Amino acid sequence: MTIGRVTQRMLAQNSLGSVQSGLGRLAKVQEQLTTGRVLNRPSDSPTATTAAMRIRSERAAQEQYARNAQDGLGWLTQIDSTLGSVTDTVRRAREVGLQGNNTGSVGQVARDALATEVDGLRADLVSQANSTYLDRPVFGGITSGSKAYDDAGNFVGVVGNVNRRVGDGVVVKVDVDGNTVFGDGATSVFAELDGLSAALRSGNTTAIGASLDALAARLDTVTSARTAVGATQNRVERAAQSATDAKAALDGDLSNVENADLAATTVELQLAEVSYQASLAATSRVLQPSLVDFLR
Amino acid sequence: MSGTFSSINTALSAIRYNQVALDLASNNIANANTDGYVRRRLVAGSVGGPTTPAMWSKYDGHGDGVRVVASQRMVDVLLDGRVRREHGTLSYLQTTQTVLKRLDDAIAEPSDNGVAAALQEFRSSWHDLANNPGGDAARQQVLGRAATLVQAIHSQLSNVTGEEADQRVHMLSLVSDVSSAAGDLAALNQTILSSKANGNDVADLEDQRDQLALRLSELAGAVTTVRPDGMYDVTVGGQSLVSGNTASSLTIASGITATGDSDGTPLTLAVTGPSGTTPVTGLGGEVGAVSDLLTTVLPGYRAGLDAVAKDLADTVNAQHAAGYDASGAAGGDFFSYDPADPAASLAVAITDTSKIAAASVAGTVDGNNADALSQTGNVESAYQRLVNSFGVEVSTLNSRTTNQQALAGSVDESREQQAGVNLDEETVNLMTAQRAYQAAARVMSTIDEVLDTLINRTGLVGR
Repeated sequence: MTIGRVTQRMLAQNSLGSVQSGLGRLAKVQEQLTTGRVLNRPSDSPTATTAAMRIRSERAAQEQYARNAQDGLGWLTQIDSTLGSVTDTVRRAREVGLQGNNTGSVGQVARDALATEVDGLRADLVSQANSTYLDRPVFGGITSGSKAYDDAGNFVGVVGNVNRRVGDGVVVKVDVDGNTVFGDGATSVFAELDGLSAALRSGNTTAIGASLDALAARLDTVTSARTAVGATQNRVERAAQSATDAKAALDGDLSNVENADLAATTVELQLAEVSYQASLAATSRVLQPSLVDFLR
Repeated sequence: MSGTFSSINTALSAIRYNQVALDLASNNIANANTDGYVRRRLVAGSVGGPTTPAMWSKYDGHGDGVRVVASQRMVDVLLDGRVRREHGTLSYLQTTQTVLKRLDDAIAEPSDNGVAAALQEFRSSWHDLANNPGGDAARQQVLGRAATLVQAIHSQLSNVTGEEADQRVHMLSLVSDVSSAAGDLAALNQTILSSKANGNDVADLEDQRDQLALRLSELAGAVTTVRPDGMYDVTVGGQSLVSGNTASSLTIASGITATGDSDGTPLTLAVTGPSGTTPVTGLGGEVGAVSDLLTTVLPGYRAGLDAVAKDLADTVNAQHAAGYDASGAAGGDFFSYDPADPAASLAVAITDTSKIAAASVAGTVDGNNADALSQTGNVESAYQRLVNSFGVEVSTLNSRTTNQQALAGSVDESREQQAGVNLDEETVNLMTAQRAYQAAARVMSTIDEVLDTLINRTGLVGR
């Protein structure tokens, strides 16, 4: 640029302009340092803003997945421990049946006592089948009632899926249909125990044997249901872990996009400060002298 | 042979000329910091012999001194035109930037409190309801989060509508500013023409007129042309605003009422002059910026928010209707809105928590519809696009403004080079004039002494 004439006003305006722009840079860096963020409004970087918004919504989703998985684990743990008790109960009933089946050493009085124990075990089983998690019967599907089985051993729940979304598009069923474990009405474990109890009272060894076979089969059913629950539990735990990990990774990404690099920003502040001070110093020198100072 | 006293006259002319030079330098110094002041330069001319030869006499002098030819106003008409153009563009950009910056700050994304955050929390509340469809707390949370979301959208919308209301009032004052500046300029045109004809110095009036022309460019992107008779003609958007000594006024033809409210029609402007009213478009400067903001930019963002609100309400309502509420009835509308004005009228239609349709099987505590609601639609991405395109607009505007500022600054500098007062230069001029004045006075006393010798000391022989 060729400079023809230079006037005092020009100098003054230029100085003012550069002091202003220096101060502007300082203010920008200061904002970044005091807020700790490089993104304070969309125009700071539209692309990074969009990225930050996406990461934020993905992070919220992962956080939610982890929460959903924890809730699902509550259900599954409750079902697992209940199925454990059910196994014990059915096994005990079978042992009692086996004792009763030994007609040589056990008399009718003892069998009656055993039948009473079987009745007690049946009552236990009904209450186990109605066990709840957060006031909902875990074997009752999506029923709005408080029970999965009535006292007669009929299924009164509503078959349906209690699902938990534990990942993007990953939905896990966290309940177990009571039907598949306990059966319903005449084909239920309750009817089987009723049969055993009646057979013990009547001393009918054939009937006792049939009941024992049925109970053995039931034991298998319960065990396999418990295995399936264990597998699901495993899966949900892994999903919870991966959602937590994903959230941590996204936190890092978000910080990369949104937050100011403290070291770099501090250096930038230093530079802005230096250039601002330089422009101030130059201004004070340039605006001082004029020819008038040198005339007598 | 020139007359005896002619040298005294020569010295007198020098004294007079240098007096003027001193006046001019001191006036330049006095106005060194006056806005719009253009420095004057004195043009001297030597007074010589007659230009037409006479038949019976000849000029035998050696110059008869000095005279003031002109006091020149150091303007460059082309440069002034350039200054006006660049300042018109700059004020357009700056006005737009100021308004959009406010909006940019108000959008406040990405943050924990914006619309995006409210959308995430709204989705989370559906997840929580899916986890616990029977719980009243989870249902209450869905309603609460929905209300927060609606509020976030409303508050963003009110930033836009508030800005629109402000700009309508701004437009009213701008239009009257333009009209009064045009009137002043036309009056000055007339005064300058007649004063010039009378031989008066019109430099100060011309300074004022140039400033008015610049002001009109900044206000409305006006284009000024100089007529052969020295009067300025001003046009805005291709329509004549000032023609010689007649001024038209800029008026709002439709869009804004006299009280600054919207009358529901798009904003249009017109020039009203003696020859009638002509619609005018394509203005620059502040008027152009405000008009573009009111007709495109702000309504555009509002339409984007409307689309987001409508999309949100439609997708949620559709999925909500597919489910069943706590009493087993099919879900009704979750959000309500007026199709003519979705964002402003968006509201949560449900107040009773049991009306939330979380179940996909009637009469159960199923949570699958709540789960589906947590996944429905993709409002986030529509909102992200809206914020992104707004951010791009503002950041482009920021860099354009910075560039234009540099450009206008450099044009200003060129003008200042030409028209600005340099104090050193004026001090030198002052000293030169002072020395010349002293020398001319010396000439006078020399002549005086010569005459003294001639009159009082000659013819004394033998006395």
